[in-house]
Amino acid sequence: MSLRRESTATETSLDRGELFARALVAGGVLAGGGALVAAFPRLAGSAPSAAQDRKILNFALLLEYVEAGFYEEAFKNGKLTGDLREYVSIVRGHERQHVAFLTKALGGAARKEPKLDFGDATSDPQRFTDAAIELEELMIAAYNGQAVNLTKATLAQAAKIVSVEARHAGWIRAIAGKNPAPDATDAPKTAAQAQMSLDQTGFVG
Amino acid sequence: MDDVTFAELDCDGAIAEAVERVGGDTRAELLGNAVVGGAALLGALGLSSRAGAATARSDVGILNYALTLEYLQSAFYTEAERLGAIGGKLADVPRQLGAVERAHVTALKQALGKAAVPRPAFNFQGVTEDQVKFLRTAVAFEDLGAAAYKAQASRIKSPALLAAAVSIHSVEARHAAWMRYLAGSTPAAAAFDEGKPVSEVRAIVASTRFVVARPRTSSTSRPKHTG
Repeated sequence: MSLRRESTATETSLDRGELFARALVAGGVLAGGGALVAAFPRLAGSAPSAAQDRKILNFALLLEYVEAGFYEEAFKNGKLTGDLREYVSIVRGHERQHVAFLTKALGGAARKEPKLDFGDATSDPQRFTDAAIELEELMIAAYNGQAVNLTKATLAQAAKIVSVEARHAGWIRAIAGKNPAPDATDAPKTAAQAQMSLDQTGFVG
Repeated sequence: MDDVTFAELDCDGAIAEAVERVGGDTRAELLGNAVVGGAALLGALGLSSRAGAATARSDVGILNYALTLEYLQSAFYTEAERLGAIGGKLADVPRQLGAVERAHVTALKQALGKAAVPRPAFNFQGVTEDQVKFLRTAVAFEDLGAAAYKAQASRIKSPALLAAAVSIHSVEARHAAWMRYLAGSTPAAAAFDEGKPVSEVRAIVASTRFVVARPRTSSTSRPKHTG
């Protein structure tokens, strides 16, 4: 590759990533444009590593514990009927498998299950639906936000989980009569933003 | 699926071209000045650059591959919306999915600039007017879209492009769940979604026979001005 070609390539590359992000923003999605760009400065000095993977997966495990506990309790309460009953009976198994997968991947580094308190969100159908949408969308945003921080091998594994969370989100929104995919992209959340959203649910005691 | 032949794959020019760019790099020279280098982007982000322009070429290939799939999806829903034959519980689908897939096309084209592959010609053979076939195809397209992005995610070198691609990936999965819900099949059939490699995606797309012609690549030479 000639020097000339290389420098030309270099000039256009910055535009390309930015253009993609901006086009997505302008495309109406918008939801994530700001976060996408804002996330970049935080990447400095945090190149993917096994140690960083562990931190990220442990945070994912916390979120998966919350989801698994939420659906398990809702299933046991037996107050949900019809589509919601079918949803919870299938999705709880997925979240349990996600917990098992992450626990195994983390080995001795895996965090313990947190104390959880869902109030009436696992028994009242409307509250359940709202909370399920919130949790599933939080999962998507949290995983999407960490994609660039993971090593490639771990990213390939995480990608298999995040689209299942996205399917859950689309499914529960369809049941609720809401547009299952209102935006053209799913905005990422940083770990701090995801933690804040989790705190706001009040589910983790 | 079982009647896919190499001849059929051949008529699927756009996919084949994108695939070549993903797999090998033999066509990279054609991209000329539009070839992206990941180095400057990584540098701007304060990340170390381990790979040079070769890295960037593979990203261009992946984006063009994604663009080709988005062309297919957006053309499908846009045609269904225009024909107006899809109704009932599916009435909103062509408009809503069409808008999202068109936004994906626009974003990818803008990101690729001159390196963007042209839109292929499609013939949906009446599927966009048939309620049952439309829905079955939508399920297949959205499952395929999610699986295609997933398999590429860990191959994307540029953090900015990766962040954008994963933000599209999960939307395709939402669509898949939605279409499956409407079709009465389980929206999330397993705890883990597997990706599909390019070769599989290519074979599936070819088997639909929706891609009818290789697009005309725009000529780089201009007509001589003789006046």
